[in-house]
Amino acid sequence: MSQVEKKAGLLRRTSSSKKPLKEKVVLMYDEIFAKEDPAKNNPRFWDELFLMKVNLEYLESKLESVDGEEVQRIQDNINALFHHCVQALAEEHQIKVVNALQTLCALFRGVHQKNKSASGFDIINMLMGFDKAEQRMKDLMERLDSLLCGEGSESLKSLCLKLLLCLVTVTDNISQNTILEYVMINSIFEAILQILSDASSRGQHGYDAVVLLALLVNYRKYESVNPYIVKLSIVDDEPTLDGMGMVLHQALTEYNRQYKDKEEENQGGFFSTLTSMVGNMFIADAEEKLSVQTNEAILLALYEAVHLNRNFIAVLAQSHPELDMAATSTTPTSTTPTTPLGTTPPALDMMNNPELPLDPNLQTSNLLITFLKYASIVMQDTKDEHRLNSAKLCLIILTCIAEDQYADAFLHDDNMNFRVTLHRMPMRHRKKTIDKNVPSRPLVCAVLDLMVEFIVTHMMKDFPMDLYLRCVQIIHKLLCYQKKCRIRLHYTWRELWSALINLLKFLLSNETTLLAKHNIFQLALLVVNLFNMFITYGDTFLPTSNSYDELYYEIVRMHQVFDNLYCMVLRVSTNTGQWKEPASKVTHALVNIRAIINHFNPKIESYAAVNHISQLSEEQVLEVVRSNYDTLTLKLQDGLDQFERYSEQPKEAAFFKELVRSISLNVRKNVSLNTLSQDILLKEFSTIS
Amino acid sequence: MADADVSLPPLHSPVAMETDLGPPQVSRVLQMPSHVIDPEVALKACQEVLLKVRLQNQDPDQNQDPDQNQDFSESSQDFVQDYPDSLQDQTQQQQQNHSDLNPDSDQDTDQTLDSTDPEPSLEPSLEPSPDCSKTSERSEQTLDSTDPEQSPEDSLECAQTSERSDQTSEHSERSDQTSERSECPDQTSERSDQTSERSERPDQTSERSERPDQTSERSERPDQTSERSERPDQTSERPDSRGARWPIAEVVVEEEEESVQSSKQSWLLRLFESKLFDVSMAISYLYKSKEPGVQAYIGNRLFSFPDADAEFYLPQLLSMYVHMDAEVGDAIRPYLLHRCRGSITFSLLSAWLLGAYSSDMHISTQRHSRGTKLRRLILSEELKPNNHNSNHNNHHHHHGNSHSSHHGNNHGCSHDTGQTHVNKPTQTQAEPSLTFCKPGPGPGPGPGSGPGPGPGPGAGDELFLASPSRRTHQRSKSDACTATSVHGAALRRSGSNPRVEHLHEEPERLRPQREFVKSLLCIGKRLATLPTKEQKTQRLISELSLLNHKLPARVWLPTADHQHHVVRVPNTQAVVLNSKDKAPYIIYVEVLECESFETSPVPVRIPETRIRTARSAENLDCGSVGGASVGGSSETGGGASVMTSEHRAGSFSTVQNYDNDDEAWATDDIGQLQVEGEGQTSSSDNISQFSVDSITSLESKEPVFIAAGDIRRRLSENLAHTPTTFRRDPEDPSAVALKEPWQEKVRRIREGSPYGHLPNWRLLSVIVKCGDDLRQELLAYQVLKQLQSIWQQERVPLWIKPYKIVVMSSDSGMIEPVLNAVSLHQFTTEAFLSAQRNFVQSCAGYSLICYLLQVKDRHIIHIDFGFILSSSPRNLGFETSAFKLTSEFVDVMGGLDGDMFIYYKMLMLQGLIAARKHMEKVLQIVEIMQQGSHLPCFHGSSTIRGLKERFHMSLTEEQLQGLVEQLVDGSMRSITTKLYDSFQYVTNGIM
Repeated sequence: MSQVEKKAGLLRRTSSSKKPLKEKVVLMYDEIFAKEDPAKNNPRFWDELFLMKVNLEYLESKLESVDGEEVQRIQDNINALFHHCVQALAEEHQIKVVNALQTLCALFRGVHQKNKSASGFDIINMLMGFDKAEQRMKDLMERLDSLLCGEGSESLKSLCLKLLLCLVTVTDNISQNTILEYVMINSIFEAILQILSDASSRGQHGYDAVVLLALLVNYRKYESVNPYIVKLSIVDDEPTLDGMGMVLHQALTEYNRQYKDKEEENQGGFFSTLTSMVGNMFIADAEEKLSVQTNEAILLALYEAVHLNRNFIAVLAQSHPELDMAATSTTPTSTTPTTPLGTTPPALDMMNNPELPLDPNLQTSNLLITFLKYASIVMQDTKDEHRLNSAKLCLIILTCIAEDQYADAFLHDDNMNFRVTLHRMPMRHRKKTIDKNVPSRPLVCAVLDLMVEFIVTHMMKDFPMDLYLRCVQIIHKLLCYQKKCRIRLHYTWRELWSALINLLKFLLSNETTLLAKHNIFQLALLVVNLFNMFITYGDTFLPTSNSYDELYYEIVRMHQVFDNLYCMVLRVSTNTGQWKEPASKVTHALVNIRAIINHFNPKIESYAAVNHISQLSEEQVLEVVRSNYDTLTLKLQDGLDQFERYSEQPKEAAFFKELVRSISLNVRKNVSLNTLSQDILLKEFSTIS
Repeated sequence: MADADVSLPPLHSPVAMETDLGPPQVSRVLQMPSHVIDPEVALKACQEVLLKVRLQNQDPDQNQDPDQNQDFSESSQDFVQDYPDSLQDQTQQQQQNHSDLNPDSDQDTDQTLDSTDPEPSLEPSLEPSPDCSKTSERSEQTLDSTDPEQSPEDSLECAQTSERSDQTSEHSERSDQTSERSECPDQTSERSDQTSERSERPDQTSERSERPDQTSERSERPDQTSERSERPDQTSERPDSRGARWPIAEVVVEEEEESVQSSKQSWLLRLFESKLFDVSMAISYLYKSKEPGVQAYIGNRLFSFPDADAEFYLPQLLSMYVHMDAEVGDAIRPYLLHRCRGSITFSLLSAWLLGAYSSDMHISTQRHSRGTKLRRLILSEELKPNNHNSNHNNHHHHHGNSHSSHHGNNHGCSHDTGQTHVNKPTQTQAEPSLTFCKPGPGPGPGPGSGPGPGPGPGAGDELFLASPSRRTHQRSKSDACTATSVHGAALRRSGSNPRVEHLHEEPERLRPQREFVKSLLCIGKRLATLPTKEQKTQRLISELSLLNHKLPARVWLPTADHQHHVVRVPNTQAVVLNSKDKAPYIIYVEVLECESFETSPVPVRIPETRIRTARSAENLDCGSVGGASVGGSSETGGGASVMTSEHRAGSFSTVQNYDNDDEAWATDDIGQLQVEGEGQTSSSDNISQFSVDSITSLESKEPVFIAAGDIRRRLSENLAHTPTTFRRDPEDPSAVALKEPWQEKVRRIREGSPYGHLPNWRLLSVIVKCGDDLRQELLAYQVLKQLQSIWQQERVPLWIKPYKIVVMSSDSGMIEPVLNAVSLHQFTTEAFLSAQRNFVQSCAGYSLICYLLQVKDRHIIHIDFGFILSSSPRNLGFETSAFKLTSEFVDVMGGLDGDMFIYYKMLMLQGLIAARKHMEKVLQIVEIMQQGSHLPCFHGSSTIRGLKERFHMSLTEEQLQGLVEQLVDGSMRSITTKLYDSFQYVTNGIM
């Protein structure tokens, strides 16, 4: 007897199929999925329902199992369930609110899982009924909004955001999620902003809020008016924008930290010494281990903020001491009457902390620096598709930044010097030394370093042409700004020149393989034009007169590459074919470089001959260069300082669609049922009232 | 004087000089009547004065006369030669003027005073000088707006009051008074003394310098007259020393030590009641008098002085309050409380100073000391102004004040007035307080800020004097601006934005400013913990960026003169100054000037990026024209292009006010929209067409050739000519930051600031010091300021620039850095030559100050000026030596025999004579502060005596001249011997 009971007890837990042992809530769900109105027999049915702990699995599977005809039959009841869920959100009793939120979540999921093929309208009809949908969704959004903005429990707010994330990601393609149309009409944008502007709520929900915003912005981005785009683009409330920046900053910092930890882990022991000895094979393995899942959602949010909101650019440069930023209130003076400027000045606790972080790398940071570090990690390995996408997005963000006047201004601000330690890929031909003595320089130097680093490290068979194009364009945009504003950056341009020349060399030597997939002439043209910028406009932005000589030196030294390039493009452009046109552009672009080579090479040779020196020193060559400028005439090329501005549409639309899809999947996976059915949450509320 | 290098002012700059010379002209007009007073003397003096006059006038004339400036500029040689000639001309001219003086000055006095009839010459002793009228005007303005009511009574009671009330009508009366006063004969005799003295002078060379003294002295004669009337026994004293009022004090003290005699008391009372009784005298009496009645009277009387005048003596008042007897404290207290109620600035200054001056006390007494208590009271915010008091109460209060002062009279000096206002209790001074207080911070966040951070275009415009949208530069961004603000306001739920709610609450009065200052000081403390300067600077910048979040706020820079709100700290401009362990730093602060920082609405925050389009392509010089236009459109289009035209349309519909705000949408925006509209179609990229394709498309054109050599040459030339090419040293960023010419910096920061377009935008700077005791510097500032005003008053063209010190505690404070009004680049030969005179004038000024204050740290000349000169063609080594005359100094002055060098010595003499005439005013400042002070400058017992001795009251002017020669000689010697203390009169100095 007792044995049987035990068995029954066990069964109760494992199988819900045995009728007499079903949970109460399950029974109630069953009632809903019956034909009759569950409230008919029990007027307090809905009240009771929301006092029950939600069984998400059951509800979802039930919804899933409903087939076409049944839908018609039970639609009224589901509509009623939805309706009462929304109403329950306004309940004082928090448990009801929690349960209602979870039930809604299950409803959205269940309906979508079931109706994978069904159109959005069917889903709306099934959940809310066509006629009432608008009102229901309006109510829902309003309730969520007030919950998010209210004084209520933080866990409740968190659950609201989870519900929203759940709703936004129920479809793989966000634009196919027709319910979101109502989220467009009934904006919760302001609620999201409020979460971001408040220091404490930002700390707890900032991440979800930012991801939600990034996703909402991408709903039918290209087809219709998305109010979230409009609204995001005009936000100018600095605390809010800063709040957003801080959330992004923290997420990226966290990623960087994780990466660093793993890296140190790997470097720690025998393994690292082995890698350096054995070489690339093992490094690749080590790299695998180092890869931390990139955070595309955060990157997308950063992109949207930078791309859409011109005020956000300022946030990038908003430097903070690397402290717990969540602790310091950023509310403006007038907001808190008692402490207009914060009773405890920021970082006061740091004062009390005997161990003040005196590591220069930890001193100050800003979102841009963190982002650059992040990018340097992500760009290291572009084999993985996620990482490739992330790297691409990083470069797109940098493109937007490089095009922005204000961003350029602070990038080049001589008063804003930072030491930015970028992560560098370990390579065979160079030691992976963490350069502790990175000089403190304007931020643009770090951007240029990153670009040079990318150029140097990605010359591989599986050539990331797209990334290279972006990379070179970013450099070009920065040069245009420097030229325009006559900013003479003290940067070791030589490294850039040699990286670019090596790139050309790589293109030449892999011409046939690359040409099969890419238009290498476009890239070659961009690279050659970078040199043309230096040659023609060097007087406006080079830091020293010597640097101009060095440019010539470098070109003359590597003349073989340019000669070969010229031969190649000339050959291609004389043939008829798809590359004729782009190749001929390169030949024209090479005119000045060729002039330089043809002018100086004989001079240098004769100098060597006259002085009987077989190998000229650098200084000697420079001397020859200096003394022979006047007889060299260059052709002024037009449009060198013009560039194509970045525009998302139509070129990048497909990329972003895919990216958002991938993010949606990821978010859906992470907004798991576990996080939704929070026992803690229920415990919290069981004590309340 | 550990940090004297930053705390003491520089030699002046030529620019400042010009402005400084304006006012004397006015004052001369006012002083002319003194010549009228006795025409004989004036005529007699004519000849002797020649030199003096020329010296007096050369500065204004030089600045007025462009020809002469040119002369200077031609070459130094010419200058030296021309100089005497030009002076001669001037002198002749002056002479001419001089002979015309009578009618002129008559006219002048007629304007200011209706009593310039022939009588004055008959009754010289009683001539009411313009000075007097000035005083009366002033005091009437400030004190006696209710005079009409008050004066009749006064005039009955005391002769002085009547004198004040209506000069013309009481001429006859006055002569009666004169006869009443037995002192009259003395005065006349004295007068003749003076005259005879003057007649002696012509042969003296030193006379030159004395002339101005004398004129001004004469103009002051009314003072003397009235004073003399009270102290016949003093007449035997030298006129110079007699100039000051101090002897009276002695008399009074003596008298009081005896027994209070009514007649003498009445003199004192008359003095107190007279318009000549100024703050300086009041402070002195307060300090010296032991009679509670006198103290109480003066305590009341403080209310009647202009706020600014009394504020100058705030350190003294507070020091007395902290360290002196209870009676003095009680006398001052009502005034302090009153002012604290009225002004946040005053409250905070008082609180800071009280803290600083209490710190010398023993820790046990400190807590219970009066100063600490008062400080607590001030900071407790209990001293709020009562807002319900309206203007008509104001009127009442003035009334009350004057009454109460009389009440005080009765109380202390009593008797002969015999008038008592029973209905005015002594308390009135404290209670009515509200007179001067502004409406208070209550209505502060006025209607303008009401709508919250995103006011509609209308409201926004009103807040700032100039609407951003009206500015052409802002055009391009106006799309975002207006849309943002309007939209922002519309979007914002009322509940969700705390700012909106808050506006209706009354902010705590002192809180914002206290927090602001505290934040700045805390930053300084934290910086001190960082090892390298680079780290310090970086931390500073980031800390300030946090501070920036909280601005604009109702905060101000205590070192600044004008009312303003701090709106932004361009944090990247801040610089940590050279110092090992402490970390003083300089910040630049953007402020918006306003009527009253307490009541004017706090400016609305403008987002950082709002400036962006304002300095977009059109402001940057683009290489080619085509580039410019394309760049321009792309620039401005940049922000907007993120939205497709559909989105735009969507946003328009949501922006309600769009239609009303046509202006915001300038043509370029519309053009831009069209471009974007096309952008939807395939070949949208008007820009991209320009970029890569342009090479092929332009192929057909005539190719343009350039020489590589030209590019290279331009590069070197540009590098040579760009001032910003000197490389920033990351180890010492302050060097570059400080070298940048001020105007340049202002322009640059203004361009980069979202508030820069506002007409009331100003850039200020301040040095924040933590861990340094600035009380001594404050004292030095006061002394310098006093000397400055003395020299101004005496019209000695010595130029010094004291700069403001605000003491926050005994180990922290702020300093107003002196800005280099003249940049290195402006400092051409021409400017240099015209600066020579200014140089001499300030050099003389600082030499005197160094001598008087015994400045031992040779960095009295501020680094700013130091490097101006050190990078000048002559490379003056300013930083290495101060008063000490280096050979370069002498070179600049045209050598030892040069005119300028003689001028230099003359100026020193003039300055010394002027200074000693008002010695008491200077001594007083120092003396009072000695009370209970542990400052190193007061080490030893003879500080004051030593200071007094350096004024050499006993020397004749000839002897004084000898002394100056000696001083200069001594310092000359130190050029070679490098001995600092070659002065004969070195004692324990105060600095």
